[in-house]
Amino acid sequence: MEVKQFAGGLNVPHYKSFSEHKAIKKASLPKEIIIPLSQHLGAPNEPLVKVGDKVKAGQKIGATDKFVSAPVHASLSGTVTAIEPRIPGQTVDCIVIAVDDNQDEFELANNNLANVSKEDILNAIKEAGIVGMGGATFPTSVKLSPPPDKTIDALLINGCECEPYLTCDHRIMLEKPEELLQGTKLLMKVLGVEKAYICIEGNKDDAIEAIREKNEDPNIVLLRMPTKYPQGSEKHLVKAALDREVPSGGLPFDVGAMIQNVGTAVAVYEAVKFGKPLIERVVAITGQNIKEPQNLLVKIGTPLSYLIEECGGIVEEPAKVIIGGPMTGKAQLSLDAVVTKGTTGVVVLPPEMSFEDMDYCDCVRCGKCVEHCPVLLYPNQISILCEAGMVSEAAEWNTLDCIECGICAYVCPAKRPIVRLVQITKPLIRELAAKK
Amino acid sequence: MSDNQKLIVSSAPHLKSDVSVATAMRDVFIALLPVTLVSIYYFRFYAVLTIAVCMITAVLTEILFRRLMHRKPSLYDWSALVTGLFVALLFQATTPWYKAALATFIAVGVAKELAGGLGWNRFNPALFGRVALVILAPLYAYVNQWFQPLHINLGPLDTITQATPLAMLRANMPMPSIGELFVAFPAGALSEVSPLALLIGAAYLFYKGHIGWRIPVSIIGTVVVLTLIAGENPVYHLVTGGLMIGAFFMATDWVTSPFTDKGKLIYGIAIGALVVLFRVGFMITEGVAFSILIMNAFVPMIEKLTSRPQFGKVKAVAVPMADKK
Repeated sequence: MEVKQFAGGLNVPHYKSFSEHKAIKKASLPKEIIIPLSQHLGAPNEPLVKVGDKVKAGQKIGATDKFVSAPVHASLSGTVTAIEPRIPGQTVDCIVIAVDDNQDEFELANNNLANVSKEDILNAIKEAGIVGMGGATFPTSVKLSPPPDKTIDALLINGCECEPYLTCDHRIMLEKPEELLQGTKLLMKVLGVEKAYICIEGNKDDAIEAIREKNEDPNIVLLRMPTKYPQGSEKHLVKAALDREVPSGGLPFDVGAMIQNVGTAVAVYEAVKFGKPLIERVVAITGQNIKEPQNLLVKIGTPLSYLIEECGGIVEEPAKVIIGGPMTGKAQLSLDAVVTKGTTGVVVLPPEMSFEDMDYCDCVRCGKCVEHCPVLLYPNQISILCEAGMVSEAAEWNTLDCIECGICAYVCPAKRPIVRLVQITKPLIRELAAKK
Repeated sequence: MSDNQKLIVSSAPHLKSDVSVATAMRDVFIALLPVTLVSIYYFRFYAVLTIAVCMITAVLTEILFRRLMHRKPSLYDWSALVTGLFVALLFQATTPWYKAALATFIAVGVAKELAGGLGWNRFNPALFGRVALVILAPLYAYVNQWFQPLHINLGPLDTITQATPLAMLRANMPMPSIGELFVAFPAGALSEVSPLALLIGAAYLFYKGHIGWRIPVSIIGTVVVLTLIAGENPVYHLVTGGLMIGAFFMATDWVTSPFTDKGKLIYGIAIGALVVLFRVGFMITEGVAFSILIMNAFVPMIEKLTSRPQFGKVKAVAVPMADKK
């Protein structure tokens, strides 16, 4: 099938070589795990355990009755020692578990997938606490239940992994193609769609080949996508794969598309087949400044300091440690942060790349941001308006449609912090709209 | 692991391209070196003097205006130096130094700093400074009259010491060969001595991604087509006067040209048409400078007319299967 190019976008350096050929390895178990009570977008969870309780691996420890939510589970057996905010810079309560020395493996069920019903699948996904594992962390069971007036006719499995450095999805596709295909079939069943497209950027041809070898279903189509950032953005994936444009302010289901990350698809398979909750995930620990970059299968709640130690430590200080990719990820204040369901990678940048917020100057109107903006906005004008606090004017220039991909700030020769300005202004625009 | 780990925090994106305003300006400076060297080869001390006067005046003017307006100095961005060099290249080597200095002062002080600094100037500073002198010439002659009783003659403001090839073309004088004009011919402004050297510099800017093809190609294409229609030899128009530096260096200025793709074409075509109008229609020199400055004023309008529809500003398409259900 022919794949389209979306307008704008940019070839950012890949930096994937550090970890792309490292097979997924199980990380060793930490002494203490810290599980944030809420790891999804939506209603916060309530704790189901008290300090002093014994918990078993896979036991549900946080949940809520609200629809838009995903429960959290203990990722290892042990004793709850505290329920308090532990993540630097965040107020979310965390369940701290002192890990037992003797760990029983999580007991896997073995369900027959042939006659599993749509409701069973959705229920298993909800119970397993699965969220979008590409980083968005929206509860998957909710995403798979679109409003009844929306018809979905195409499922897109997102294996683009367009962010530089990250390799976890690449390794999952290479090493777990059968699980991925099974998960895709389950998702097709839930949605009642006939066609699924597995979309992979052209810089991961080995993954495309690995999946093609195992794929026997003609309704699951492999698409080799152009290697261009932000190919993995939902709206751009829909545009490129299906040539449908998600309307401004809309979601992919408005044009009949549903996107799920490859990691999510594998988690769905494991949840339905084995009854396994989302208690571990693949994390790429990578970057020029980590001694041995690796793709690790990590228990949710493992502190970054432990993982970095596992990979031989930071080579040179000062460093910048980013959760997620370098274009949209968050630089961490300290290594006390933990791996959550949405942690795709931990990128450790070397001193020469670890800049603080830069001095910037006035827009010189070079037009590079306009040329590369994938949402076809005018980031130059938007940044000037946001900087001047002209909120209603910024709204007129469609600031709310910005997907914060970071390309404008990447190419800007004046080093203007365009994304930050947009992030500051977006809530102000919503506030203004609410007043009217 | 040490507890006092030194971690650096900033907002995303955590990667930035190597291009900055300073590196871009430095590249423009490098791109101007070939033609600067050729002009120095021909005019020796005169060229060096003009260039030095302009660059020093540019720097001093920027320091002065930035201090007066309580702004941070911005010399590190190279823009003052580049503007100074541009102004110098727009003058003939024999231009009195005070004229070159005055033009630079107007370019950096008025056209750039008073307009709000680099990025806010609507007009190309160097061209603005150069053209200001042409426009001020009658005023200058008037001021000269006051000084005449004191027996001080400041001299005419726009001295022409040697017929430029463009003027020779106008006067039907025997012309040097096109090859000579293209490679190097010592007449006219410093930047007019060698279209070849300018093209080498432009190729460098193109390679570095600082200029695109749209503006130069549309200007040159329009000039070729319209001069052919007017029955003139287009090649002479291309290799003479300020067309080369105008098309590749002045009209492509980031700040004063449109940032939309279609806008760039419109802007270029309009400049090309104005150049031919001034050169063939009105028989005046400085046509390129005037054309670019006039179109600078239209840039906001061009950008507005050529703004693109945004991603997703479409109606939701019908989902193929929706009909079946």
